[in-house]
Amino acid sequence: MIRYILRRILYAVPIAFGVSIVCFALVYIAPGDPLETVLPPDATAATIAIVKHAYGFDKPLPVQYLIWLGHVVTGNFGTSIATGRPVILEVSDALANTALLALFAVPLAFVIGGTMGAVAGSFPGRWIDRAVTGIAVAGVSVPNYWLGIVLVIFFSVQYMLLPATGMGPNGSTGFRLLQWNSARFLVLPVITLAMIPIGILARTTRAAVAEMRNQDFVQTLRAKGLSEWAVTRHVLKNALPQILAVMGLQFGYLLGGSILVETVFTWPGSGFLLSKAIINRDVPVLQGTILILSLIFVATNLVVDLLQPLIDPRIRRG
Amino acid sequence: MGLAALILGLSAAAEQPAQAGGGTLNIAMTAGDLPAMTGNPDQGFEGYRFVGYNLYDSLVLWDLSKADKPSDIKPGLATDWQVDKADPKRWIFKLRHGVKWHDGCGFSADDVVWNLGYSADPKSPQFNPAQFAQARSYLGNFASVEKLDDYTVAFTTKVPDSLFPYEISYVLMISPCRAKELKYNWVQYALHPSGTGPYRFARMVPHQRLEFVPNTGYWDKTRIPQQDRLVLIPMPEAATRTAALLAGQVNWIEAPSPDAIDRLKAAGMQIITNPYPHNWTYQLNFVKGPFTDKRVRQAANYALNRSDMKELLNGMMLEGYSTVPPSTPYYGHPLIYRYDPAKAKALLKAAGCLPCKVTFAISTSGSGQMQPLPMNELVKAQMEAVGFQVSLDAMDWNALLEVTRAGVDKNPDISAINVSRQTQDPFNALIRHVWTKQWAPKGSNWGHYSNPDVDRLVEQIYNTFDPQKRLALLTRLNEKMNEEAVMIFVAHDLNPRALSPQVHGFVQAQSWFQDLTPVTVGP
Amino acid sequence: MTDILTLREPVATFTEETPPASIVRGYWQSVFYRLRHDPITLGFGAIVALIVLAAVAAPLIAPFDPYAQSIIARLKPFGWRDHLLGTDELGRDMLSRLIYGGRVSLLMGVVPVVIAAMIGGILGVVGGFVGGRVNTAIMRTMDVFYAFPSVLLAVAIAGAMGGGIGNGMLTLTLVFVPPMCRVAETATTQIRALDFIEAARASGAGTLTIIRYHVLGNVLGPVLIYASSLVSVSILLASGLSFLGLGVRPPIPDWGLMLSTLRQSIYVVPLVCALPGVAIFITSICFNLVSDGLRAAMDVRM
Repeated sequence: MIRYILRRILYAVPIAFGVSIVCFALVYIAPGDPLETVLPPDATAATIAIVKHAYGFDKPLPVQYLIWLGHVVTGNFGTSIATGRPVILEVSDALANTALLALFAVPLAFVIGGTMGAVAGSFPGRWIDRAVTGIAVAGVSVPNYWLGIVLVIFFSVQYMLLPATGMGPNGSTGFRLLQWNSARFLVLPVITLAMIPIGILARTTRAAVAEMRNQDFVQTLRAKGLSEWAVTRHVLKNALPQILAVMGLQFGYLLGGSILVETVFTWPGSGFLLSKAIINRDVPVLQGTILILSLIFVATNLVVDLLQPLIDPRIRRG
Repeated sequence: MGLAALILGLSAAAEQPAQAGGGTLNIAMTAGDLPAMTGNPDQGFEGYRFVGYNLYDSLVLWDLSKADKPSDIKPGLATDWQVDKADPKRWIFKLRHGVKWHDGCGFSADDVVWNLGYSADPKSPQFNPAQFAQARSYLGNFASVEKLDDYTVAFTTKVPDSLFPYEISYVLMISPCRAKELKYNWVQYALHPSGTGPYRFARMVPHQRLEFVPNTGYWDKTRIPQQDRLVLIPMPEAATRTAALLAGQVNWIEAPSPDAIDRLKAAGMQIITNPYPHNWTYQLNFVKGPFTDKRVRQAANYALNRSDMKELLNGMMLEGYSTVPPSTPYYGHPLIYRYDPAKAKALLKAAGCLPCKVTFAISTSGSGQMQPLPMNELVKAQMEAVGFQVSLDAMDWNALLEVTRAGVDKNPDISAINVSRQTQDPFNALIRHVWTKQWAPKGSNWGHYSNPDVDRLVEQIYNTFDPQKRLALLTRLNEKMNEEAVMIFVAHDLNPRALSPQVHGFVQAQSWFQDLTPVTVGP
Repeated sequence: MTDILTLREPVATFTEETPPASIVRGYWQSVFYRLRHDPITLGFGAIVALIVLAAVAAPLIAPFDPYAQSIIARLKPFGWRDHLLGTDELGRDMLSRLIYGGRVSLLMGVVPVVIAAMIGGILGVVGGFVGGRVNTAIMRTMDVFYAFPSVLLAVAIAGAMGGGIGNGMLTLTLVFVPPMCRVAETATTQIRALDFIEAARASGAGTLTIIRYHVLGNVLGPVLIYASSLVSVSILLASGLSFLGLGVRPPIPDWGLMLSTLRQSIYVVPLVCALPGVAIFITSICFNLVSDGLRAAMDVRM
């Protein structure tokens, strides 16, 4: 087991290295000047040359990559060209805000999607199963940024019940989870973001429960005279590891994949930071954000992989 | 990490901004991010409007107190300026006495000299490349500065420059005292900025909000802010700004989308508009392609039905017939290309360009670009109706700026670029578009227009220090530019903003900049 | 957008009860039999067929020129003067634009998936069959790209390459190749380990023959199903990129782009402005349900 864990961890190292190359390269395929933000529209060629030199963007690319990698390995991701703040600070602030969304959206999806899936899986082929399957498909098919726009029109503009944008009266630093004054800013983005995980978790749970019910041990339990409720509990307990694994992966995806929803709600998270960095061509932020997000994603996958055999003794790996 | 702080901070009391008489003004800006706070801001003139001229002053300021005529310059940190009678390349500026930086230090001539090192001299210890990049466009003709006494400085320009006071109005002064205290760490400076402006920095949440409080000791007693607090929030999406105002999250939004105006009015919002020195035009290729022929340029101008464009924007524009709006002092009596499709067709025929194939480089969004996509699509349809064949090359804003800076040499197959420009002072309004010395990539003459008459006129303007005589020359230049049809003139923005009914006392100046100090917010 | 790829995260495997296709005669017949008796899949398949047909025949059925503008006719409600679904911000007919927009959306939905299925499929089969270092090299390279959440990767690539239909399709193809390759590789590795391949080898069949007759037949199913499930993902991603300004360029009618520009006019004609979103939603649902039906019919467990 320990060897397996070690091997999985070691295996992540070359991937991380590959990811760093891709991140660096991606940014340099981009047309346009990496110093876009600090240059006014009418900057002259001479001005640009002087500024480029001052920022070190006039060195050959491989040299720039090695310098960057050297810094990154020591935890120095450079500073944002646009704001002058350290990239690590930019990313960790943004990531905390996105994590806040994910911390609510994923459990919400687990409760709703899981319940729906468990019910559907217990009555395979019945109308309730079809209804749940329909809702789940709708959940994964909805363009969620569009849903966000529609929710804002209804709940913010028309009925003025919930705020339309941002993180509250004092921004993310003044955000107080336990005060409705702040927490209300979470409601619409979380609902919007939870749609796809709800669909996915409902489907996963349904499949796991339906499959589990066909297995021999369930027949045995029934034969032993256990009540239907007790049988369901056993089934759920056995299906749980698989559902939890999908939930973990969803969390990882939400950290890096909520760009559209964050754009709609001006939520100052990682996706918002990224799209801003793309628009501004803020190279250090762009590279740092993509790298950190994908490394977190690699790490989440790793953790899920490592935890699964622990929760579920039936899975054995060499 | 931040998240831990978020959760640990649960018990902390919510910060409630003090509610005294003036209220809190919450402004949703169009900028994608908070403007830089180390002197000259980024984010275009919106940065100057909300951050630059609020935290800082320049030697020369803009008079923003009137709504009925275009703003002009007025004394700022300098009380008076004169060109040296003996040397037309030397300007003497008298500085204001008794001005204090927000950090308490006094303002004097040394500070001015230090600031020009900061933004213009790569060899000075306080040099800041980002500031250099921002200020360079205004300091292109700056050669040196020297202190004559504690309250007098002398600037030397590279060539005689009657417009120098306009150029220096864009160069904001930061406190050398604070900079030295922070050991020239500009990241720290941005967190603890110190200027002489009417507002002091209060707090900032990066990317999210910036808060200012009144500088009660401001040197201009008529401009001490009346509201208690000014909050600036970047909100690049127009739809989001509208929703935020309607949901009561902010009480002032910049540039609501024209189609939202009726809904905003229905909710009781004040819609404020005023012409200002902005143009929405196409700068043309004078090296290659159909627009090298003046008849084709005129045909394009005759082809446009600008009242349709106004309809498209729900009335939120001024029909554009010249580089500058009609209220400009040097507008004069230019040749007006009113909608005349028959004339346009005839001109194209005479020029032998049928169908006349042109390619426009346009952006999908961008500062001052108004509604670039539908507007360009309308222009395309109208021009095609008279015999043009227009292909739109849509790119993102930064890519278009690249094309703009690089100039026609690098983009020979683009017939025109659609970049809206500020036209606030004579150089930015007229000269830079047509002067041979401003050929891109050196300047803003993208299409390499060159005309000896125009160049001679420009030289004359720079050497004419009498304002009245200069005005006559500028008027002639504007009329000449129209007669030559140096651009396709389309529109001037009306700078709409929507204010909640609680906002009082705002006077919208005919300028890119605005004075927020008289504004109060009622309960 | 959340990553929808996760839905199909567990890689395809055959259920234990189902023997590999090449052993059972008439496997495909049984698939078609099951499909014919699945009314839901057939129904939604018919809608997909209609959408495809409308897109292909757009010039014939669109009532108006999708580019024809009229300022006086801008932002009109449903049914205004022959404009069944109203008009957009430039007075263009919404129905026509939606029909033409379907072309772009389907193009962006199908082409990247097909190309990715071919590239990924070939890489996966080769890797899985040859095994050893070749497989390691292929799969480790794929793992690097797999390490990015798909939305992140799509936005990053599209941001780097700039917008446009061509770049958009290239972006999505790059996003889909790694998962496609994984599906093919897993299926190939499983098949390779089975006895009948050894038997074929022993009877003197060459590698190519084995790949052609045994491996392809058994890998095609999972690849096909996985690909079909990616179409709606691709449509959603493409429209999302257009919404962010990283996709299709105007004036080409594209649902994501229409959604984004009409967002400014939502207070004038809310229902008209909601249409592009509805179109994306419905198309995506149909493709998802058809893909589900296909999977059930082919009896492949994902």
